[in-house]
Amino acid sequence: MGGERLLAWLIPAVEREAVDWEAVYREELPRVFNFLRYRGFDRDTAEDLTSATFEKAWRARDRYRRERAAVSTWLLTIARNVAIDHLRRARPERPLDDESVRTEDTPETAALQAAQVRRLRRLLGGLPERERELLALKYGAGATNRAIAALTGLSESNVGTILHRTVGALRARWDEGGAQ
Amino acid sequence: MSDEFLSGLREEPRREFSERLAQRLHEIDEARASAPTPGALRRFAPALAGAGTLALVSLLFTLEPVRAAARDFLDLFRVKRFAAVPVDPARLARLAQGGLDFKSLVAEQVQVVVKPDKPQVVASPESGALDAGIALAQPTSLPRGFELAEAAVGRPGSFRVQVDTAKLEALALAAGADEIEIPAFWNGATIEIALPPVLALRYARPPDPAVPRPTGDGMVLLQSASPQVQLPAGFELATLGRLGLRVAGMSAEEAERFSRAIDWRSTLLVPVPVQSGTYREVEVAGRTGLLVTYLPPAGSADAGPRRLRQQALLLWSAAGKAYALMGAGNGMDLVETAQSLR
Repeated sequence: MGGERLLAWLIPAVEREAVDWEAVYREELPRVFNFLRYRGFDRDTAEDLTSATFEKAWRARDRYRRERAAVSTWLLTIARNVAIDHLRRARPERPLDDESVRTEDTPETAALQAAQVRRLRRLLGGLPERERELLALKYGAGATNRAIAALTGLSESNVGTILHRTVGALRARWDEGGAQ
Repeated sequence: MSDEFLSGLREEPRREFSERLAQRLHEIDEARASAPTPGALRRFAPALAGAGTLALVSLLFTLEPVRAAARDFLDLFRVKRFAAVPVDPARLARLAQGGLDFKSLVAEQVQVVVKPDKPQVVASPESGALDAGIALAQPTSLPRGFELAEAAVGRPGSFRVQVDTAKLEALALAAGADEIEIPAFWNGATIEIALPPVLALRYARPPDPAVPRPTGDGMVLLQSASPQVQLPAGFELATLGRLGLRVAGMSAEEAERFSRAIDWRSTLLVPVPVQSGTYREVEVAGRTGLLVTYLPPAGSADAGPRRLRQQALLLWSAAGKAYALMGAGNGMDLVETAQSLR
C-alpha cells in the first residue's frame, strides 16, 4: 500500500545503508574459511563449505538487514549451519593436517612449525564440540566475545569464561607434553 | 600459549579457490540480472520506491495552499525545489508506543487507483525515456570506470487519499500540536495523486570475474516529470504540512517559521533522520539541489570488519523534471555527475 511505503520512508527506512559486498567478500572469506578449518575440516572440505556459505549468502543478501546483525555475524551464522548440515550427512571429521605450514620458511622452522601445528590441532580435535566451536569462532574467525554470544545464544560473560577455561586447559596439556 | 599462538593456525584461502568462488558468485549475480523476473529488478527497487515515496511525501508535507477558494481545484503541484526536514525516528517511535497507529492513520486512507507496476528493464535509455514520456538526460561524465549497466522504467501508479478529520485530530493531539485546527469541512475530501513513470539508469563498474560486484554497487539516476496532485477546493494544505512538521518533531514556532519560509506550491520536503542523516544545499547546473547523506548508526556490537558505506541522495529539479541520483559515498561524485547531465 502506498501509505505503508510512505511510512517506510518516514520512519526507519531512511536510515538504510549500502553494504559493500565486494569488501565483505574480501574481508570475510578468510574468516569463514578459517572458522571451518578450526572447526576441524580438512582444506578441501573447508573450501567446499566456504563456497556453500557464500553462495547461500549471495542469493539471500537482499534479505540481509544490518540492524539485526553485523554482516560477519550473519555469514558465520550461515557457515555454522552449513557445517552442521555437513556433519549430519557426512563421515566423521578427518583430523586436521599441517598443510597450512608456510613453505617459504626455512626447513628447520617449517619442521618445527609443522610439529607444533600438528600438536595443537590434535589438542583442538580432542576438545568437546562446544568448546571447539567457540575456539573456532574466536581464533579462526576472529569474532568478538559479543559476536560469539550472539551466534551461540550463550551470554557474553559465559563465552569469556568458557574460552578462558578452555585455553587454560589447552595450555596445561601443551605444557604437560613439553615445548615440542 | 598466547592468543597469537592460537591464531597462528589461520591460513589464507588459496588464490585459485578465492578466484573460483568469486567467479561463481559473479555468475549468480549475472543469472539474477539476466532473468526477466522481478528479482532481477530489485536493484532498482530501493531507488524507485524512494521516488514513489518521495512523491507521496508531498501528500503530507508539500501541497499547494488554496489561494482562491472559488477555484474548482488547485493547480497541479510542480516540484521545483527540495527542502530537508529533520525527523526524529525516536519521536515517531514514542508516538507509536503511545498508541498512535500510523498505519491506520495513513495507509487506511490511501486507495490505489492505478496499481504500481514493477520496474521493467528497457533496451536503452532512449527507449526508456520514450516509454516514460520524458526528454532523456544522461551524464556526460561519470566516476572512473563507471558505465551504463541497466535501464528500467517504473510506474509508481496513482492514488486517492480520503481525508478523515477525526484521524488528523488524533494525530495532532498525539503530536502535541493542539495549535493546529483541522477544519471540519475537510472530512471526506479526496486528494488525487498521480505519480508519473520514472526512468532509472544504473551506472556501475563492469563486472570483474576476479571480484564479485555488490548488488547495490554504482549509482542510480532517476528522472521523471513532476508528480501531479489535485486538491479539492478550499483545502488549506499548508495546515496539513505544518501538522506533518510537528509530527516530525518541530516545535509549533519552528513549524510556523518553516511553513512561512518555503513555497508550498513548489517545494518537496524530504525527511532526514536527525541521528544518522545530514543534508545541505548544493548547486546543480545553476539550480539549488538537496544533498542528503545517510551515515551508518554507531553502536554495532560486532567489532569485526563491516564495510558499511555512507550513502548519498541528490535531489534537484530542472526543466520541469525531478531528478534523484543515489549512490555510495559522501555525494561529491553525485554532484559532479549531476552537473554533467545533458
